[in-house]
Amino acid sequence: MSRIDVLREQEVAAYFQSLGINQGPGDIQYRLIVLVLASNEGGVTQFSDIRTYTDRIADRGSVASKLKTVFLLDGLAERVQRGGYVVTDKGLAAARFIQESGKFYKRSTKIAAIIERMP
Amino acid sequence: MGGFSGFGGLILNATICAAITLSALAFAWTLHTQDPDPKSKNAPSLKALIAFWVVVAIAFLITFVRVTAAFFGYPDLDVLCYYLAAVPLGFLPVPLVFFIVYVATGDKRSAWTMSLLFTVFGTMYLLFLLPSEIVGPDVTYWATTITSESDFALTIYLSALFIVPTAMIIALLGSILARKPSKRSQYRVALTLVAISLVFDFILVDAVAIDCVMQVAARIFVLISVVLAFLAYHPPERLQERLRIQEIAGCEVDD
Repeated sequence: MSRIDVLREQEVAAYFQSLGINQGPGDIQYRLIVLVLASNEGGVTQFSDIRTYTDRIADRGSVASKLKTVFLLDGLAERVQRGGYVVTDKGLAAARFIQESGKFYKRSTKIAAIIERMP
Repeated sequence: MGGFSGFGGLILNATICAAITLSALAFAWTLHTQDPDPKSKNAPSLKALIAFWVVVAIAFLITFVRVTAAFFGYPDLDVLCYYLAAVPLGFLPVPLVFFIVYVATGDKRSAWTMSLLFTVFGTMYLLFLLPSEIVGPDVTYWATTITSESDFALTIYLSALFIVPTAMIIALLGSILARKPSKRSQYRVALTLVAISLVFDFILVDAVAIDCVMQVAARIFVLISVVLAFLAYHPPERLQERLRIQEIAGCEVDD
């Protein structure tokens, strides 16, 4: 599983929240869960794998609730065993969108910094 | 004084040089009066930009004296001013490179390093230029031209001092515009960088011009570019409305 930088994801989520986007790209729990699921494509993601990243920013109950009410309900992941999930094609599309949002954040902050340095 | 009527173009040339000097100084002064917070991120780039316009003004002030000396028939002063003007022209890319590198990276150390490199190039240019043989001054109706015999000086001048900074300006402009900032930012950034680039390139054309009319034409374009740079920071109301870049400020209203 590739490493996910929780601090950076928090930064990106905070940026989108500052734009008034509180769901999806602006939701740190959503970002981390979808990225963990996508990084484990082709295998079963254990709830403990997700908690490795989410424990620093959210309690277990809210992460489990997010998995159930967003990921399972919208078909982004399927539950295949007790505490085990696989990402679906929709989930992978969501993960790609979240990765793109990270690139958008990088581009936007870079240009904002350049403009700020222009006299 | 009777012979002066044969060099009326020199008066125009000197007037253009004086106009460039005054407008570059005035622009540097308006930038200076912006008076940003010294801790703000644009303070170093603002200082570099002011330094750039001051160096342009100094170079053209010396050139003004040179053309005036040619008009009054003092070839020794003409040659002396040619060498004196080479000093600010040789170091003109130094503040410019600092400005570009700092704006692009935000790293002062990289900006200083690149400036130091261009200071070395400028010094090398002067070291090759000053002891070299010169041809001229050749005073014509429009201009006074002096040509250096040093190929090394010309090569350093063209390749290191001018082509590299121009490429850096174009790269910075492209990278900013590709990321689509606000219209107002696009206008200011594009016009500032294009104006700097034009000033820089026409100074190059001026320096290597063999044809005297080309020298005057290059100086007219330098003057136009200084005005463009001024417009980047102080766009007229009509232009702001047309380009929809005006700052709209208002007081809060209760619902």
